[in-house]
Amino acid sequence: MTKEPVDVLIIGSGHAGGMAAKILTEKGISCLMLNAGPVVDVARDAKQEPAYALPFRGFKPPGRLAHVFQSNEFNANVWVDEEEVPYTYDPANPYNWVRVRLFGGRSLFWSRQSFRLSDYEFKAKSHDGFGEDWPINLADLAPYYSRAEDILQVSGRAEGIPQYPDGNFIPDDVPWSSSMLRFQEAGKRLGVPVCRGRRAHGRDGLASSVNLLLPDAFATGKLEALENVVVRELTTDKQTGLVDGAHFVDRLTRREMSVKARVVVLAAGTLESTRLLMNSNLANSSGVLGHYLMDQIYGVGVTCSVPEAQGGKATAELMGGAGVIPRFRNITTKSDKFLRGYAMNVTSRMGAFEPRNFAAYGAELQKKLDMYYGSAFHMTIMGEVLGHYENHVRINKDVVDAWGIPVLHIETKYTDNEHNMARDAVDTCAALAESSGFEVLSKNAEPNPPGYSIHEVGTCRMGNDPKHSVLNKWNQSHDIKNLFVVDGSGFTSAGWQNPTLTILALSMRASEYLAEQMRQKNV
Amino acid sequence: MRRRDFVRAMIAAAAAPKLLLAQAVSPAPPPAAPVPWTLGLNGATPIPNTQIEDAVAQAGLRFFTPAQMATLERLSDVLVPSLGDKPGAVQAETPAFLDFLIGSSPVDRRQMYRDGLDWLDAEARKQFSVPFAQLETVQADRILQPWMRAWMPDHPPIEAHADFINIAHADIRSATVNSKAWSDTPSSPAQESTPVGLYWYPIEPDIYPNRITRMPFTSRTDRATP
Repeated sequence: MTKEPVDVLIIGSGHAGGMAAKILTEKGISCLMLNAGPVVDVARDAKQEPAYALPFRGFKPPGRLAHVFQSNEFNANVWVDEEEVPYTYDPANPYNWVRVRLFGGRSLFWSRQSFRLSDYEFKAKSHDGFGEDWPINLADLAPYYSRAEDILQVSGRAEGIPQYPDGNFIPDDVPWSSSMLRFQEAGKRLGVPVCRGRRAHGRDGLASSVNLLLPDAFATGKLEALENVVVRELTTDKQTGLVDGAHFVDRLTRREMSVKARVVVLAAGTLESTRLLMNSNLANSSGVLGHYLMDQIYGVGVTCSVPEAQGGKATAELMGGAGVIPRFRNITTKSDKFLRGYAMNVTSRMGAFEPRNFAAYGAELQKKLDMYYGSAFHMTIMGEVLGHYENHVRINKDVVDAWGIPVLHIETKYTDNEHNMARDAVDTCAALAESSGFEVLSKNAEPNPPGYSIHEVGTCRMGNDPKHSVLNKWNQSHDIKNLFVVDGSGFTSAGWQNPTLTILALSMRASEYLAEQMRQKNV
Repeated sequence: MRRRDFVRAMIAAAAAPKLLLAQAVSPAPPPAAPVPWTLGLNGATPIPNTQIEDAVAQAGLRFFTPAQMATLERLSDVLVPSLGDKPGAVQAETPAFLDFLIGSSPVDRRQMYRDGLDWLDAEARKQFSVPFAQLETVQADRILQPWMRAWMPDHPPIEAHADFINIAHADIRSATVNSKAWSDTPSSPAQESTPVGLYWYPIEPDIYPNRITRMPFTSRTDRATP
């Protein structure tokens, strides 16, 4: 039986899709949301357990999730299984593709750090000559950032630093501990800003699509949703070339079905949205679809101890608190070793140390754990990865997933720029630690594999020139006017910032534009 | 109708008014059909208590050779000995668990353990002329200590021997800390506690992929040229 087309088909239910659903339905537009995985019911699907009650004592189940370093036995079942949805890569250049297909996607599990991009990111090419500028600037996105911060309930403090734009914050008035203040003073001596972090509080600690966005959309009565439907390809009207729906397969029964829509909004996550466009052979007149894959380098850092807190002398006045060193390289000076820059997460902590911080075992190790207890001070990197054409994804037709859909081949690697940046970060942190009077226990200058940060962006980038970009400044396909892509794939550069807040702001902005275009019957 | 049946019918007819009267003043008798058994499965259904397997059962050696297991047991005892009231790796039955865990692991991890344990035993025989399993602690220290490193998460040492020693140390310690035996004794503030967390069951697991014959998919879309 032929069904009436829906107004807007939204593919994906994370922050990007959730925001699109909220904005569009609140403007009276009917939407259908498709999600590849099931709805989570924590009361049914999860239970508090001690590690010893699990078959592998909490260790990651052997042979599973080799590229999900974040996984363990407690959470192994929330990630996409690499055998069910494989991807290929050159073994010399592995990629950690960390995916969640549960309803709400990765918005269920993110770290909630919420930063605006600055014009050092939006207009990066104008600043240093590399890559492309975004087709928008901070002023364009600021009103949407502000509303997204209100929805997420982001706490922070105005710092007045142009590369760390202030926002619409819940005031962060918690006093810093003296170890954090010492570190901040050391930063001043070395020309390194140490600022307050910015974090989404959401509701009850959860800042997800499922509790902050989708309830508003469902409340309008304009949103319908399907779970467990894996979209195989977008469909098109052969007369107009416009997209007119999607073909999907039921995850459990393998039943093949299709839906019709007037507009399609892709929000499946950076690489899944691009994979879907590639499998549909759409939106690539520029030839850059799949290219300029970026993320951020993680895993680099320094672990220290605050000597005054050793020997059982840690107090809440001395220890505790967290901050951020926003990017400071290549702002007013120019490094001869790398372009762009990195930020550092800084944490002062009163708990126990991880044993691996000491080259010891047995009774000697326990003595060190006792001695250093409560004195931990951590610094970890968030470094911008440059967008190179060569870092790309393409369809591997020789390999299919559990539903017969061709998979992605991911070809990307870090360059000297990222490795030099990592070394600079470790050297800088060690110097800050020394200036603070901290003892360095362990350090690492080798980044984790690309993808580890779960901040993959690009491959469907925005731009003013249809010959060099896939999307226009409204996240709308240059080629197909009723196709929008509102997740991280539209990023023109990665920045050092966690991308979620920017994805939310972009999706909000694109959705309001789409609603207006639909009202004017331009789409 | 035979006489006997006729008499039975008359008795039933005479009794009927009395029965009807009785129904008017008493609850209805229970239904003749049995209660559906599923009604008994509800939130109040008692849940049997079960033990974890390690508490009552033991596993046979499945992966390591007896010599490798002897080395692993000594290594575990040296790296994570019993301290105070806290059990060590041996009391936590960590070597037997690692036989299961490592034996179930990908080939590179299995090989690293086998090679590492064989190397330790060879070093012990070379330096002290006895198997590693028979070393005094100070002798084992002379082999192990030079390879100990401090390292950051996801970045264990990669140099030969240091990789095995440090990874095995982390595994032995985690398996011990995550054991019931460790959990049953209080930890000092600086000692790790057995993790307790939200365990996610398989969520609507895909149980059909090998049971359903899938029709090959043919696109019904006339694809637009980009």
